Amino acid sequence: MAKKKQQHATNGSDTVPSPSPLPSPPPSLSPSPWQAFLVHLISGLGLASALGVAHKVYSVNLISDPIHTLRLIWVFEAPIVILIYSLLRKNPKQCSYWKAVGRGILALPAGAVVNALGAIALGAPVGSKYFLKTLNWSLLMSLFTFVPAASVFGSSWTDWIQLFGHTKPSGCIDYMICLPAHGAVIGAWFGAWPMPLDWDRPWQEWPICVSYGAIAGYLIAMVASFSFVLLRSNRQHIKGE
Amino acid sequence: MRIKHLNIHLRITQTNVFTAADLFSVKKTATVSRQRMSSSLTCTKLTLCTVSAVLVQIIGLSLFVLGFFPVKPALPGFSGPESFRPPGCDSVEDQNVSNLRPDQLKSLYQELYEIPPSFDRLILMVIDGLPAEFVLGRDGRPPSMLIEEVMPYTQSLLASGMAVGYHAKAAPPTVTMPRLKAMVSGAIGGFLDVAFNFNTQALLDDNLIRQFFNIGWEMVMLGDETWLKLFPGLFKRHDGVSSFYVKDTVQVDYNVSRHLGDELNRTDWNLLILHYLGLDHVGHIGGRSSVFMGSKLKEMDEVIKMIHLSTKRRQDNDQGRTLLMVVSDHGMTENGNHGGSSYEETDSLVLLVGLKPKSYDYPLVTHSTIHQVDIAPTLALLFGVPIPKNNVGKLISEAFDSLTDDQLLRKLELNSWQLLRLLQVQIHGLTCANSCDVLSNDPGITECNGGDQEMLCCLFAKAVALHKSWKSKRVSRSISGDEHHKTLLAYDDFLGAASKWLSGRATYKPAGLLTSGVAAMVFSCFVFVGLLFRLDQEVHPCKIYLLSDVRDIVHNWHFDETYVLAIIFILVLSMGSSSMVEEEQYIWHFLTSTFYLVLLRKTFQSLVARTGQSFTTLIKGQNRSSYIQVFSIILILTTGRIMRGWHQGGVNWAHLPDISKWLGQAGRCYVKPLQLVSWVLIMSLGVYSLFPLQSEKYFAMIIGFTFLVSGALVLQHIIEYQDTSFADGSNSTVQIIYALLGVSTLGAFFCLPWLIPVPNPKILSVHTGSLSSNFLADLRMKFLVLGFRDSIYVIGWAYIHHWCLLQLLLQQPTNSMPVLFLLVQILASMYCCSKGGIHLKQWVEVAGLYYLGLAGHFAFGNTNTLATIDVAGAFIGISSHSTLLSGILMFIITYASPMLALLSMVMYMSLKETCGLVNAQEVDIGHFLKMTVSFPCLVPLGLNSIVLVAYTIVLLLMRNHLFVWSVFSPKYLYVCATTVCIYIGVSVVCLTAIYASLVFAFRSRYAAVLRQR
Repeated sequence: MAKKKQQHATNGSDTVPSPSPLPSPPPSLSPSPWQAFLVHLISGLGLASALGVAHKVYSVNLISDPIHTLRLIWVFEAPIVILIYSLLRKNPKQCSYWKAVGRGILALPAGAVVNALGAIALGAPVGSKYFLKTLNWSLLMSLFTFVPAASVFGSSWTDWIQLFGHTKPSGCIDYMICLPAHGAVIGAWFGAWPMPLDWDRPWQEWPICVSYGAIAGYLIAMVASFSFVLLRSNRQHIKGE
Repeated sequence: MRIKHLNIHLRITQTNVFTAADLFSVKKTATVSRQRMSSSLTCTKLTLCTVSAVLVQIIGLSLFVLGFFPVKPALPGFSGPESFRPPGCDSVEDQNVSNLRPDQLKSLYQELYEIPPSFDRLILMVIDGLPAEFVLGRDGRPPSMLIEEVMPYTQSLLASGMAVGYHAKAAPPTVTMPRLKAMVSGAIGGFLDVAFNFNTQALLDDNLIRQFFNIGWEMVMLGDETWLKLFPGLFKRHDGVSSFYVKDTVQVDYNVSRHLGDELNRTDWNLLILHYLGLDHVGHIGGRSSVFMGSKLKEMDEVIKMIHLSTKRRQDNDQGRTLLMVVSDHGMTENGNHGGSSYEETDSLVLLVGLKPKSYDYPLVTHSTIHQVDIAPTLALLFGVPIPKNNVGKLISEAFDSLTDDQLLRKLELNSWQLLRLLQVQIHGLTCANSCDVLSNDPGITECNGGDQEMLCCLFAKAVALHKSWKSKRVSRSISGDEHHKTLLAYDDFLGAASKWLSGRATYKPAGLLTSGVAAMVFSCFVFVGLLFRLDQEVHPCKIYLLSDVRDIVHNWHFDETYVLAIIFILVLSMGSSSMVEEEQYIWHFLTSTFYLVLLRKTFQSLVARTGQSFTTLIKGQNRSSYIQVFSIILILTTGRIMRGWHQGGVNWAHLPDISKWLGQAGRCYVKPLQLVSWVLIMSLGVYSLFPLQSEKYFAMIIGFTFLVSGALVLQHIIEYQDTSFADGSNSTVQIIYALLGVSTLGAFFCLPWLIPVPNPKILSVHTGSLSSNFLADLRMKFLVLGFRDSIYVIGWAYIHHWCLLQLLLQQPTNSMPVLFLLVQILASMYCCSKGGIHLKQWVEVAGLYYLGLAGHFAFGNTNTLATIDVAGAFIGISSHSTLLSGILMFIITYASPMLALLSMVMYMSLKETCGLVNAQEVDIGHFLKMTVSFPCLVPLGLNSIVLVAYTIVLLLMRNHLFVWSVFSPKYLYVCATTVCIYIGVSVVCLTAIYASLVFAFRSRYAAVLRQR
């Protein structure tokens, strides 16, 4: 399977219009590892600072007040993610920066709906008591999954399916979007496992451990995506030489 | 549901296959598959392997169950005057005891005993969960100083010899109800006894309380209401407290103690039971070293002091002697839990206060260990009632120290006779027992050895002989203390050996049985998995030729397949945790929903792959079916989520609100419309499904009519009778419904394959008639396939529909909606698989259906505890009490959902394009059957065998776990019942398919013969 994936990846790189290894192609098409690192670092720092602000300024955390904390996190993270990924938009010539930002803003609630529906289908509790929790959680999940893709690809259906339907990322930017999104979803899926246990811990409540899982998965997947980008660029260099 | 188009669509695809262009490749495939087939599984081989694996599994399972849950024969009835005669001569004088008044019975017993009872009244004080270690210390060491300080009075009683304390070993499960039963009946119940007594909690076996009641004792009970459940109606006064609020440690005991002063001053009772729960609650909250433990022990000490002082006062005033017996039902672990079989949990206390104080020359530090079951014979003998029949304990000899020599021997004799009676039941043909004959045995038997049977016999004979010689010598006044001592020892030996043997019987787990059982199950599991693997290898290549996007199918890694296997492994892993077992419904829903989300993702893939390819009208048409697929998966997910919310289920979160609770509160005005809605929808789905058979009008009408008639009767029952259960009129209606459903199901099974009209072969042969050289064979094949599909389709529908109607009748009214939802889910799932949008392997589809059934099992309110079995429903329509019939009904109710999923496999087979069968050049029923039936049968068997093996191993590993009796064993019973359910379902599926295909083979041959003429 890994072999197949690599094959596909090399095929993808062959189809990149300009074969020159110089940094002349538009930065959006294949961001350098340095850029990737920066993007991931800023997203990660955004998360961390949101958590830090919640802890220091408002003295809440995910366990004591999940609604407030989740809201803080997505409010902090949303501008960062939208602004940064809009820089990496796919066709910078045809699509202005602000259009990409707009797409990202639009995708935020849309992705939240999809995420919330998915969570409810998997058993997230419904009811007025849980509405705000689910809302804030799904907005956060939307930031991890949908918003970067929307900012970069817009409504290009084939790209979306390529990334989320087939999980076949081809370029660097694909990796940077696809891996963290999948990481967040898979992390959230695993994060739900302790919920039915009878440990009587406060963090077993709905969205707390799921959010922890999602954040952990997102962070891990960002590291993974960065290393993929690094690997690819090394290979390209070798090929270029 | 577009079921109408379904069959039509299938026919179209089938004719497509036979277009001239395809024929070449088809022939090639046929030869390839033929070559492969010759070297591999044939239908007969497959069947033989499967059947033998099933048999091996059944044998293994029953070996394991017999080994792990030994069934101990319990004697019915109550001990009477016959227990004062030696066993074997009961028939000498059979007095009718039941006619005697209690006081007459009491005097009769006293007469037979030849000894007046030592005490007049008994106070049984049960301190729930008190480890004997707290009072008596451990391993010969006194208890810790801290505890000695908080229980000063008890310690002083022990030190002065006014009280005797014992470590009483309790048998697992160390939870309150079985322990109380053991204390009062002297029997160690097996797990299955607990499991099978689901319909009543009352103790029906012979027990002390009943014996006391029979001789006219007045009894008072204060404390844990378990006593009231065990002995309903036997107590004169009672104040039961619930053990439900574990957080409460104060009020629960105050409720007992508040009556104490009053009761102690009264004289109108003979037995006072005090059951203090507080200490157990303290343990559950904070463990052994909880901060409340000291004050709680102090409180108990105060109670003991109060009772002892009061009884002493009465005794001094010559108002009768009272025995105070302080016992605990079980101990607790460091964390305060109990249920398992560790020393900490089984170390319970027996403290006898009020015996004649003996002058101990030395401070009593060593306390002997007895068994908890010894309480029953001791109390029976102390108070002059017969020892309960199933008692396996032996008397506590220190309690009888005040008796004379002959009295003590008499007590020992009575205990021996009772144990011998029990031994005679357990060992058939224990012949040594003719002790009512004069035994001429020489008292000089010195050593007993040999097998169990001989040894027990010999010990008994020795004791009896010594006793006899002692008696005769006493008459002749040549008595010696030595001889008395020898007799005592001989009795003690026999009692000890018999008690050990009998109680060993109840808890003994034969390692040989267990290992052979597990080995057999593992073997059959490997056979199933191996068969599935080979089948997959074999079926798969032939599919490739028929599908356009070959490369995608072959070389792609399939997440859905991995995930189907992952579900089973996650499930198996989670079964190791007791709380995951308790909350299994979450796991099933989570995993099944994820599976369908994965399918949804896959559907999206195919959707776009096609739009990317080209935009011809044909493909657009297929794309539409992809949209319908997406819709049906979303339908499955939605209904699944609603079903999850229907019953909260589980143990820990069972109190959270859910739809069924809400409906229960809302009352019948909401439930009935829901029932009607689900009835209407199920009926209309049933009738609508017959529309594809439009060409054969009569036929559809007849079948639809039977559907409607039984449906109407069910409706009538729902409307009229369901409010007033057990009405006279309802029984006959229900019986008619049972009969009608049964007859029409059987009728469909037997008659449909013969009667169903098959489209004229002439029309069908238009395409291929000129092309094929072996035209007849093709024709016959097609006849077989089409007829088979049609008949299987209708039979499958009849099964599903009738099963749903039966469930509407039997399930609780609130469950009618989940029945409908489950039906919708299964239909949607089948529809989604039968459409060509996503190419799943057949075993994945079958596994998906099977998982739906198991997830639905919990949506009907079932859990892994035995408490949720719907007992009330099991008596619907049964006029006389019959355990077998109500057992069957209970099974039908409990396994409604997995069974529905299995029955739907029949219809699934008819919807599936089974490849390979059209390739065969001649009518080969074996190959045809293999392709059709093998997956729907083997996949449930295989998946279940994995779960069964894994869970058996989990149970073995957990046999000393805290929750082995409360969580793991009930779950194991459910696993066994699921296995039975799968056997039944799978055999129905494969019998239907085999029968129908044989009939069609016959019919096609007949048609061919007709044509040749």
